[in-house]
Amino acid sequence: MSMKITGKENKQWSRLGARATYGQAILMLAEQVDNLMVLSADLGNSSGLDRFKSSYPDKFLNIGIAEQNMIGVAAGLAKEGNIIFASSFAPFISMRAAEQVRMNMGYMKLNIKAVAIGSGVSMAFLGNSHFGLEDAAIMRSIPNMTVVNPADCAEIVKTVFAAAKYPHPMYIRLTGAVGFPVVYEDDYEFEIGKAIEIRQGSDVSIVATGSMVYESMEAAKILQDLGLSVSVLNIHTIKPIDTDALDILIKKDKPIFTIEEHSITGGLGSAVAEYVSSIPNSPTVNRIGLPDEFVITAEYRYILEKYGLVGTQIANSIQLKLNIKQ
Amino acid sequence: MTNREKYDQVFIDSFSVTKDQLNEGLVYQSVQQWDSIGHMGMVAALEESFDIMLETDDIIDFGSYTKGIEILSKYEVVI
Amino acid sequence: MMSNNDLFLLAKKSRVQLLELAFKSDGPSHLGGGLSMVEIFTALYGSVLQFDPQNPEWENRDRFILSKGHGVLPFFVALHNAGFISQEELYTYKKNESDLISHPVMNLRLGIESSNGSLGHGLSMAVGISLALKRKDNLTSRVFVVLGDGECNEGSVWEASMSAAHFKLDNLVAIVDYNKLQSDGNSDTIMDIGVLEKKWDSFGWEVISLDGHDINALIDALNKASSGPSVKPRVVIAHTVKGKGVSFMENNNAWHHNRLTQTTFEQALAELNN
Repeated sequence: MSMKITGKENKQWSRLGARATYGQAILMLAEQVDNLMVLSADLGNSSGLDRFKSSYPDKFLNIGIAEQNMIGVAAGLAKEGNIIFASSFAPFISMRAAEQVRMNMGYMKLNIKAVAIGSGVSMAFLGNSHFGLEDAAIMRSIPNMTVVNPADCAEIVKTVFAAAKYPHPMYIRLTGAVGFPVVYEDDYEFEIGKAIEIRQGSDVSIVATGSMVYESMEAAKILQDLGLSVSVLNIHTIKPIDTDALDILIKKDKPIFTIEEHSITGGLGSAVAEYVSSIPNSPTVNRIGLPDEFVITAEYRYILEKYGLVGTQIANSIQLKLNIKQ
Repeated sequence: MTNREKYDQVFIDSFSVTKDQLNEGLVYQSVQQWDSIGHMGMVAALEESFDIMLETDDIIDFGSYTKGIEILSKYEVVI
Repeated sequence: MMSNNDLFLLAKKSRVQLLELAFKSDGPSHLGGGLSMVEIFTALYGSVLQFDPQNPEWENRDRFILSKGHGVLPFFVALHNAGFISQEELYTYKKNESDLISHPVMNLRLGIESSNGSLGHGLSMAVGISLALKRKDNLTSRVFVVLGDGECNEGSVWEASMSAAHFKLDNLVAIVDYNKLQSDGNSDTIMDIGVLEKKWDSFGWEVISLDGHDINALIDALNKASSGPSVKPRVVIAHTVKGKGVSFMENNNAWHHNRLTQTTFEQALAELNN
């Protein structure tokens, strides 16, 4: 059931955006998985699920605006042998329903895929109440949770298909909006838990996740023009983190920069730093992400730029840190 | 291909309709595939076919096969 | 004191201001659920609430919380008409880094008591405020909260509701904007809440059910003295129409969160100005 993608499809999905791609992916999955059930907390339309709802009405359950109940109900359904995908906005799953996630998914290890749509700051003018600033941190701190943050729409599709086969509770964090840039122009191997080297390099090691993979690639190109050889590692699975891939970076003994559309507290950067710092003589880990603050409200890209999270600014931050003169 | 043929082909491909459905009755949500996702796909296909970029308001106002012809004329595409 | 006619005209004007604000923001807004609350806000800010825009932290003010956080359009318009928000500031709505965004962000100077957006939070805070007011012997101020009917899906609303009755908070008034629609559609088909009046009654509240577009009925319900011997919080179940005032928006959930084009804006204005 591994999902092959084409560059053309990825471009089309990119236009539709992250949420609509989730809807498309789950629709395709339904053709293959009979015991699939998809839950939403009155955000079916916002999750790109309208087509799924009309095509598979018996596989869709709207719980109304009640996220805690949604996870609890998902647990009951999962326990009785159904494959469950339950979506809502990031803070409502990771915080409103955190305890339900903890007990049902963490402690009882029930096979639920909780999908956080609109994570990071892509909710733009809806503001901090709707942003996923700390969701990866919270979900990752719960034992037995797998946390995945796909880099582009193709990876969202691959994640959904891989998740259906993966018999463990999962938190899938969708960053990016409409026009989510393409990282993968061709089909590629995707495996939960295995980081992917997107770009090779020998002077600087960038480790990125979700929307920041594309921005990191842009940053790497800019730095290359300045004579720096920069590698980019896509850690789509923040937990369990691919320590083998990190070992390779540690051996290079070059500064590591982590980039995430998430607080620098507790997310990818922290996960990488936790591991790397445990290895003697390891390189520095420099965390780039959102600050430990509630952020401004604006258009999506404006917010990213405000906090230095677009390619040019990431390149600049790296230069400054390394004291590279232009 | 004429503009009309290109235009029609986009609708046929996007919404799995037949040629005789291509009239003023073909409106948003009148066929299953013309939902919000189908709409975005159709717009993308038209943009690619005619090498244009539709404005957001036009994408929203594009509610029917016939309305679309009117809208495209703004972009100097005569169907 | 505004006359009936003044209030009626204020509601009319507010609808126009609401549409203009939404249109000028050049993006989607929660229009449907905003339009359903125009009379509620007209009654509150045009008549019932005690406040002073020159002294927004006046201890004896009434406190208002928009728990149905996405209902900012009529809220910001009402705050503007009440003198809290200037015309210039109103038009910073949905501009980058503005204080006025798609949900309320706490700012007492602007008359916004609380940050909301995540549904189901406001009633709890209102309970806390009501308790605090009683503890400091403030018998003048009252606390008003507006909730959505979809919002009543959230369990936290019922925790708050139970506690309000338990604590006998007769200085607390909740208003439910009962427009029978929510993001994904018809509230009945998504999560049937049964008879809303009975639910609140069973939780120990004094319930008043009315037409949410009847300003006089709203004012009476919000102001009247308690009827019974027991001390209870009050809920006004305001039966409303999502998108009220614009024919093509009424009960049309496509307008839950949508943007106005030049065409639809002009059509809507034409209807309102008739």
